[in-house]
Amino acid sequence: MKPADPAIRMTRRHFFGRGGTGVGIAGLAHLLGRDAVSQGGLPELPHFAPKAKHIIYLFQSGGPSQLDLFDYKPRLEQLHGTELPDSVRRGQRLTGMTASQTSFPVHKTWFKFRQHGDSGAWVSELLPHTGRIADKLSFIRTMHTEAINHDPAVTFFQTGAQLAGRPSIGAWLAYGLGSENDDLPTFVVMTSRGSGRVGQALYTRLWGSGFLPSRFQGVKFRSQGDPVLYLSNPEGVSRDRRRMFLDDLSALNRIQQEQFADPEIETRIAQYEMAFRMQASVPELMDLSGEPESIFELYGESAREPGTYARHCLIARRLVERGVRCVQLFHRGWDQHRSLPQQLPKQCFDTDQASAALIEDLDRRGLLEETLVVWGGEFGRTVYSQGRMTETTYGRDHHPRCFTIWLAGGGVQPGLTHGETDDFCYNVVSDPVHVHDLHATLLHQLGVDHTKLTYRYQGRQFRLTDIGGDLIRELIA
Amino acid sequence: MFLSPDNGVSYTLGFSWLYLVLACRRYTGEGLQKRFFLCQLALLAAPVFAVDFDRDVRPVLAENCFACHGPDGAQRQANLRLDQEDQAQLAAGEILTRISSDDPVRRMPPAYLGHDRLSEREIAILREWIEAGAHWSAHWAFVAPTRPQPPAVEWGARVQNEIDRFVFKRLERAGLSPADEADRRTLIRRLSLDLTGLPPEVGEVRAFVDDRSPFAYDRVVDRLLESPRYGERMAARWLDAARYADTQGYQNDAPVQMWGWRNWVIEAFNANKPFDEFTVEQIAGDLLPDSTLDQLIATGFNRNHRSNSELGIVDEEYRVEYVVDRVETMSTVFLGLTVGCARCHDHKYDPISQKEFYRLFAYFNNVPERGRVLRPFNSPPRIPAPTREEARQLEEMAARIAHAEKAFRATRDSAGTQYRAWEHSLARSDWDADWHPSFGLAARYDFESDLGSALASGQVGDIEGKVGRALSLRGDGHVEEQGIADYDYNDRFSFAAWIKPELQDGIIMSRSQTFDPRDENAGKGLTLVLEKGRLKLKLIGRMDDWIIVSTRERIPLDRWSHVTATFDGSRLAGGVTLYLDGLAADTVAELDYSNGGIKTKEPFRIGAGADVTSRFIGAIDEVAVYDRELTREEAAILGAGEDLVEIARIPADNRTRGQRLKLERAFVDVHGPPGVRSAWAELAELTRERDAFARGVATVMIMAEMDPPRETFILERGAYDKPGEKVLPGVLGVLPPLPASAPNDRLALARWLVDPANPLTARVTVNRFWQMLFGAGLVRTPENLGTQGERPTHPDLLDWLAVEFVESGWDVKSLLKTIVTSATYRQESKGSMKAVHEDPENRVLSRGPRFRLPAEALRDQALLVAGLLRHRLGGPSVKTYQPDGLWFDIAAGGGYDRGDGDDLYRRSLYTYWRRTIGPPSMLNFDSATRETCTVRTDRTNTPLQALNLMNDVTFVEAARKFGERMYFEGGKTLEERLAHGFEMATSRPPRPREAEILLSAFGRQLEGFKSDPDAANALLAQGDSPVSDGVRRTELASYAMTAAMILNLDETVTKQ
Repeated sequence: MKPADPAIRMTRRHFFGRGGTGVGIAGLAHLLGRDAVSQGGLPELPHFAPKAKHIIYLFQSGGPSQLDLFDYKPRLEQLHGTELPDSVRRGQRLTGMTASQTSFPVHKTWFKFRQHGDSGAWVSELLPHTGRIADKLSFIRTMHTEAINHDPAVTFFQTGAQLAGRPSIGAWLAYGLGSENDDLPTFVVMTSRGSGRVGQALYTRLWGSGFLPSRFQGVKFRSQGDPVLYLSNPEGVSRDRRRMFLDDLSALNRIQQEQFADPEIETRIAQYEMAFRMQASVPELMDLSGEPESIFELYGESAREPGTYARHCLIARRLVERGVRCVQLFHRGWDQHRSLPQQLPKQCFDTDQASAALIEDLDRRGLLEETLVVWGGEFGRTVYSQGRMTETTYGRDHHPRCFTIWLAGGGVQPGLTHGETDDFCYNVVSDPVHVHDLHATLLHQLGVDHTKLTYRYQGRQFRLTDIGGDLIRELIA
Repeated sequence: MFLSPDNGVSYTLGFSWLYLVLACRRYTGEGLQKRFFLCQLALLAAPVFAVDFDRDVRPVLAENCFACHGPDGAQRQANLRLDQEDQAQLAAGEILTRISSDDPVRRMPPAYLGHDRLSEREIAILREWIEAGAHWSAHWAFVAPTRPQPPAVEWGARVQNEIDRFVFKRLERAGLSPADEADRRTLIRRLSLDLTGLPPEVGEVRAFVDDRSPFAYDRVVDRLLESPRYGERMAARWLDAARYADTQGYQNDAPVQMWGWRNWVIEAFNANKPFDEFTVEQIAGDLLPDSTLDQLIATGFNRNHRSNSELGIVDEEYRVEYVVDRVETMSTVFLGLTVGCARCHDHKYDPISQKEFYRLFAYFNNVPERGRVLRPFNSPPRIPAPTREEARQLEEMAARIAHAEKAFRATRDSAGTQYRAWEHSLARSDWDADWHPSFGLAARYDFESDLGSALASGQVGDIEGKVGRALSLRGDGHVEEQGIADYDYNDRFSFAAWIKPELQDGIIMSRSQTFDPRDENAGKGLTLVLEKGRLKLKLIGRMDDWIIVSTRERIPLDRWSHVTATFDGSRLAGGVTLYLDGLAADTVAELDYSNGGIKTKEPFRIGAGADVTSRFIGAIDEVAVYDRELTREEAAILGAGEDLVEIARIPADNRTRGQRLKLERAFVDVHGPPGVRSAWAELAELTRERDAFARGVATVMIMAEMDPPRETFILERGAYDKPGEKVLPGVLGVLPPLPASAPNDRLALARWLVDPANPLTARVTVNRFWQMLFGAGLVRTPENLGTQGERPTHPDLLDWLAVEFVESGWDVKSLLKTIVTSATYRQESKGSMKAVHEDPENRVLSRGPRFRLPAEALRDQALLVAGLLRHRLGGPSVKTYQPDGLWFDIAAGGGYDRGDGDDLYRRSLYTYWRRTIGPPSMLNFDSATRETCTVRTDRTNTPLQALNLMNDVTFVEAARKFGERMYFEGGKTLEERLAHGFEMATSRPPRPREAEILLSAFGRQLEGFKSDPDAANALLAQGDSPVSDGVRRTELASYAMTAAMILNLDETVTKQ
């Protein structure tokens, strides 16, 4: 390497500056030293002082029932079994699964609610741990979305558009803000299955980079085999042997670099080195043997088991500790069309303790202030029963018009309950929060003006919030 | 010197520099980054003396003014349009005042919308333009290209063809000179990778190096263009554009079968089908006069979009999405325009109104399709798409059948006397002789003496039947049997019976669960039922996955009727036929969705379903269940209640068709002479064999038109449920009109795309080919040549190539040959210091291309040098190595059923592509996701790529087998073998220093393996292919590691 060579220096700056043309910023960051290039990302970002440095999104895939978890509706006790009034339904569209139902009987929840903490937030008995930390959370009861089916609805929540092709939240953040860690990916994804129900499929587009360069896509950490695809050396290749291999490979590549002075070669050498470092840093991250017993008590015994939601929550904390910008969990199985009273408690049991533990753990370590945590699904569920009303069970169809999510940390005012829904939990009464509004607020907490984080593609400036998005100012501390 | 706009140098360069900065600025939205790149461009700028509207002014207006004063009528402020010459001219004075105003209230673009004041440069440009008269010119890409005169240039001796004149002229203006021609080894590797997607064999390299003929280069080019590998290579990029995949791409992401279309693409490229035909056949092959099977298959292009089978979706919502996808894909691929914006509102920058979007939409809105598609596999319209081999076999079978039929007819006709004698004796006999089709008969209940293997449940009786005795049902019992009629929604089957109902409602036969309209899995199964007197066949899956077909006619009460229901396994209501008394009945499809299995554990029941309330009251006789779809003739025969003797007694002219057929079939099947019987059996057998084979032929989804056409409306804000004004099909007004004479249909649109008057298609196409070879197009936004796209780096060259392409008869191979034989292409990719410094992205082409290989080429190259690559053109997709659990983790529908043998080693073009979880070793290397149309190539360089190339079993196994080839084919000494391996991958022998490193690397690896032989064995166990004998394992493992190193070399993964 000849750092004094003006052509190389210039082109390095050039490629770094261009961002999109194909040089791994992380690699260059390593080559040039952190100070020289900050940490990747766009130079004009953050747009203002960020409240949060990291985001952990606990996505509950399938559509958790707000009626049975958060949005307490005592009037349903009396209304139980009565027909949903047309004045409430207002002809709004239903999914094809219940559109042909001739009757829409209102169904109360079978679960008990009570108020928690100083804030007095209502939480159902299914989420005792969440209830315990309710004062640290902010509930949005008036989340609403445009899609009524899983695929478009999840895609909308993760990319700001119902159809495939747009970058995910994490990819936008990786593109805009870059990384604070040279040895781990900027954006990490983990998926788990619920025991209540296997659940709906997920898609790589949910953490994809869309039209942004592919290096901004989320890296999925797996619970089976290599935590990162192709991370382990093949059998028979020890770390020492890999080192030897890389030394010789670099020596050969440097000869090529002398010939061509192509910065791509230098980057490639650096990326092989980063790969080598990841081979150590990722297993170190995933190795929980150093975590004390108290941590497993906090997160729950299932945190010892690879692939569980609890394990992923714990790893999420470890990722944030190491400076990873964006952690996205997907937990499946929240799609209770029927057998809700049987399935929902299992879903809650799998997730409640660990979600709360993550908040407490971050808080104890002083990380909650700089970490924004989001909990929620792609839509809620209907107040009316899907299928027969029986003595033994009930189910609820998809409901996009109002549902509950919660936020914590990252400069969000704790202990608030935002927005009001009607007695049927069918429509928003006040303070609606659209998906774009949520996205705008998430970006804002990370120091990003959502109208200014744009990328030109097909002749248009695209952004996560499309042409919408208003900050939820009441929630911003 | 490194110049930046910030350092004060900028203004010294004067005005020509300024507008260039502006012209470039809109190409990137990446803030500060753009500045680095702008100033470099500025250095390359030629001196320009006047503001050019299209190049300089329009971008300023588009960026700053059009959002409120542009094509979008809904957003237009002050009723002022600046995208039209007359209005802009009228407002010119005001524009100047407003943009330079310091009053924040008067200033445009307005502060209250968050706009900054225009820069001094932008203001200067607009001032210059307005002072010169505010003249307008069309956007360059909307004006048809004319053949430019190639300029005379400085390096005339280097010129190979016209391309070089345009490029060299540009270099002159930039003050740069062309790089030297690359050496032959580099050239042949570049050519092979570009034209076949594979590196050359060592022998091919050496032959080229040694070929002193002046035609040596051309001969290599011709050979490569004639290779069948060429079609595969070209198809790969076309599949990205056409968003080809093997699954639906939504939610559970079930499989589809579109590989028959992929075969068509590969063959089309190999046959060098002119690009205009290639276009017309894909867009409208179904509308061509007497369209061939191949032309129908070609239309699969417009059915490759994602499709949704999710339960509960709103059908129309997704049907609209498919049509939108077709419009957007066609516009991107052929017109290089982003029309998608106009779905919801008039385009803000390009002259494309919302109405025009829906006029394009109308061309694709007429497919007889649904929004909720079948899963798995193909939804109508679809067509069997036999491969060449299958087509050949089908032809052979048809010939054998024709032959057998002829033989049968001859023997039968010659047995006329015997037939008449048999008929005569039958009529006079008292035989108890009957006949019914027996092939595929699963169960038959005649209710003569007992119930056979069936059991009575509750009270049943017997009564005089249509034939002998019948089953009598009074509502308190039925007959059932386990194991009969266990059919699914994709099985073929038939039910038949004589019925004498006393009530209008009742289940005739079933294999189904209790029905309840609100229980997800209730009523699942198969039911043949009378409802309000009408005969219905129901195939019920979960929730609304139902097929229900009903007769229009009512079955009479209290008398015998024959009913037959057949199903062809198509999963469509159209596959159900109901017969009354042997004749096909007029039917309606009440429900027509079948996306879930219908099998149940219930028994087969006669006279009831699982729910006792819907029992049949009356008599049932001669129940038959077949494991196949009966033909019309057979249904007619079953509908003839008389036995053979009774029929024979009816005068021949008075017999019904069913009676006549029954007699004839009985004769050829059972009662005729042996010759006739064997000829009949032979014919039947051949026919069944052919039918079974034909059913195994994969289909392809194709385009078709409904008659009358579906009406098209503008959709307000793009929403499927907000139809506005009705529109007729039509093309974009900014482009030339359709020819007046032709009918205004999809075919007219297809021909309009490739009309030489169309300014876009040829440019867009040559630009994409250019991108494939040079890594970036002459227009670097190949998806958008509209006003928001980049301007061409070489406008004249682009036009020259476009005109040349059209005038050559859209000859793709000839176009590619022209490009790859140019001196421009042949330049070495090593640039001068000055060139690298001033033009790091090689925009002016002062050197050859150098970039990482596309995803599929990386794998194909590794397989090739390993000797593992299996060449087989076309066919279904294959499931290669993939890390365990990848699908299980996030997808529905279980795991990945990996293939083996040759399936592991086919070209990557054939790798199974699940849209929601694409093959990771493709996606890691920036492949398209195949979810939507992708024509632009991005390339990143990441640590995940390093891990992939080092550790993916595909590459580990390839390294191992490559190592073996080095050993066995590379020569006698270690040095020779290592050098040979290096040459196999890079097409050149190693330099001495490289050879030294290879040698010492090998030595170090060997030393390590010698002290740990288990490691060697473990490494050699990677992948399915066997390890060759005759070499020490430690040595082989060391070759494997060295081979892996060669496969990971920057030079190996790069085309240079």
